[in-house]
Amino acid sequence: MKQIVFAWINVLQTLLRVLPFPCRTGLRRIGNPTRDSPVLLTCNFRLTVERVQRALEGVDCYLLVANSRGVNVWCAATGGLLTNHDVISVLKTSGIETLVDHRQLILPQLAATGIEGNVVVNKTGWKVLWGPIDARAIPAFLEGGLRKTVAMRTVTFPWPQRLEMAVAWAFPISVVAGLLILPFWRRAIPSLVGLIWGMSLLMFLGFPLYRRYLRTRSSNVGFVFFDFGQWGLALLLWSSFVVGVASVAFATGSFSWPLIVRWALVSLVMTVVLSIDLTGSTPVYKSDLHKDRLLQIVLDTQRCKGVALCEQVCPTNVFAVDHHRHLAALASPERCVQCGACLVQCPFDALSFQDPKGDQITPAIVRRFKLNLLGHRLEKQPKPVRRADESGQAT
Amino acid sequence: MSTYVLMRILESIPRRYDLGIRLLTLGSLEKAYDRLARHVGRGERALDLGCGTGALALRAARRGAAVKGIDTNAQMLEIAVHRAQHEGLKNVEFVENGVAELDAEEPESYDAVMSGLCLSELSPEELNYALRETARILKPGGVLLVADETKPRTWLLRVVQGLIRAPLVLVTFLLTQRTSHPLEGLPQRVTAVGLSVEAVRRSPLRSFVELVARKPLG
Repeated sequence: MKQIVFAWINVLQTLLRVLPFPCRTGLRRIGNPTRDSPVLLTCNFRLTVERVQRALEGVDCYLLVANSRGVNVWCAATGGLLTNHDVISVLKTSGIETLVDHRQLILPQLAATGIEGNVVVNKTGWKVLWGPIDARAIPAFLEGGLRKTVAMRTVTFPWPQRLEMAVAWAFPISVVAGLLILPFWRRAIPSLVGLIWGMSLLMFLGFPLYRRYLRTRSSNVGFVFFDFGQWGLALLLWSSFVVGVASVAFATGSFSWPLIVRWALVSLVMTVVLSIDLTGSTPVYKSDLHKDRLLQIVLDTQRCKGVALCEQVCPTNVFAVDHHRHLAALASPERCVQCGACLVQCPFDALSFQDPKGDQITPAIVRRFKLNLLGHRLEKQPKPVRRADESGQAT
Repeated sequence: MSTYVLMRILESIPRRYDLGIRLLTLGSLEKAYDRLARHVGRGERALDLGCGTGALALRAARRGAAVKGIDTNAQMLEIAVHRAQHEGLKNVEFVENGVAELDAEEPESYDAVMSGLCLSELSPEELNYALRETARILKPGGVLLVADETKPRTWLLRVVQGLIRAPLVLVTFLLTQRTSHPLEGLPQRVTAVGLSVEAVRRSPLRSFVELVARKPLG
């Protein structure tokens, strides 16, 4: 029964993956926890909670479900929906403080973009530890003395996840496209749905094959949504489809120019829709819709004290920390996905972003202003205060 | 009154929040806030939970109270600070804090605790915690003032409210990935923490509640 529920939730929520799915917040007991059992925290995205609970089978611990408004950990933390306040709130209101003797909280690593560890410590006395990225690694992390291997702290995009993203996009897009086309071209709906699912699966499952050709560093964001690299991909997909349709039509003797033109148009639109936020659907690139992808990570070695929090929270293993000299280095800055976790966590503000114009984006700004839907930090510079006599009217 | 759900959309655009709320509620929320603020007097200490852009906090400050507004949204607070500066109000401060951080407040230190459209955003545990803490930090004789969304008591009204809410909830969900849970049994919860409810005013559809409760003397 448990298996069926788990499978059902996985299927349903993968289909509707792009929508938030909140579940009950608060404390959950896993196994038979004691006063020394570990305390872990996750978001209140239903799918995540189910998967974390499954991963923790056989472990005795407490799981705190914080209010992330039904959004997954990484998106919620980066978008300002999972903040210090939500962590503090669940610590104080769930009753966990009366159940355990220790004060050590294991947070998901990907929440490091939005939750400031030292604020939680200062306000609650709970020490924060950044756990592994994937919940399935938690048992090994707990048994291994709370140490993370490189694999535990690095995001990957394996085929099950790619399949999930393909389905997550194909389903809503095919529903919307199907409804749009319903009034005037009903016969084409099955083919259209097939087209969307086929292209989406092709695009995501084939990701490792073309990923090296993706260009994600051009600066024309905002004018066109995707740069030449992905345009190339879109065109390739589209033209191969059109050639395919034409040859099938030719072979079956039903070839006609209006038919080919119509399908060419429909499939062009679908290819563009599907590839608009391709990189944003992967954990290994920043979204193309986000200006932040053009930011460069900068390390001020004068400020660095080598506490290596950056190394602990970086999901792409950008840093190399010399633990003898107590100094971090940007070993692979090209891997940076501009998530900002290292900036947010560094206690000495040794890290910052630099935008293409050379302006510095300080940790204070990244901590204060989260990304909104379009990927803008809401206001990068606080506006100077206007006096009433200057502006003439109140805002 | 289900348009309160749309508040979530506006919240993602803090600068247009106040104008939007005024339009959506056709001024009725403003009136509710005005009525509630009348319970706060000159020289009193008042706390605004989830102050947002300062609608209630600024009203109390204009009446001469020493006001502290707390909210978890930095952008909204920034607007609140600007507005206070514009009006030259020195007796109001805004702090980025959540309701779970109320334990940092001194016991029996406030004459009034106010909350507009905030309690409905809390989980049941958070709501109970916030009300318990409110009872702790209120001076004897101090008042709790609430204006918020609520769930109607009869099933018929619930169905009507649900139908009106559904499309708004969907739109809000899609645009901001947020929603609110209308408060259930607020007067009972308030009574449970030891405050006595003095007045409850509900909207015609029973979907909006204004509540005044007092901490008993001694």
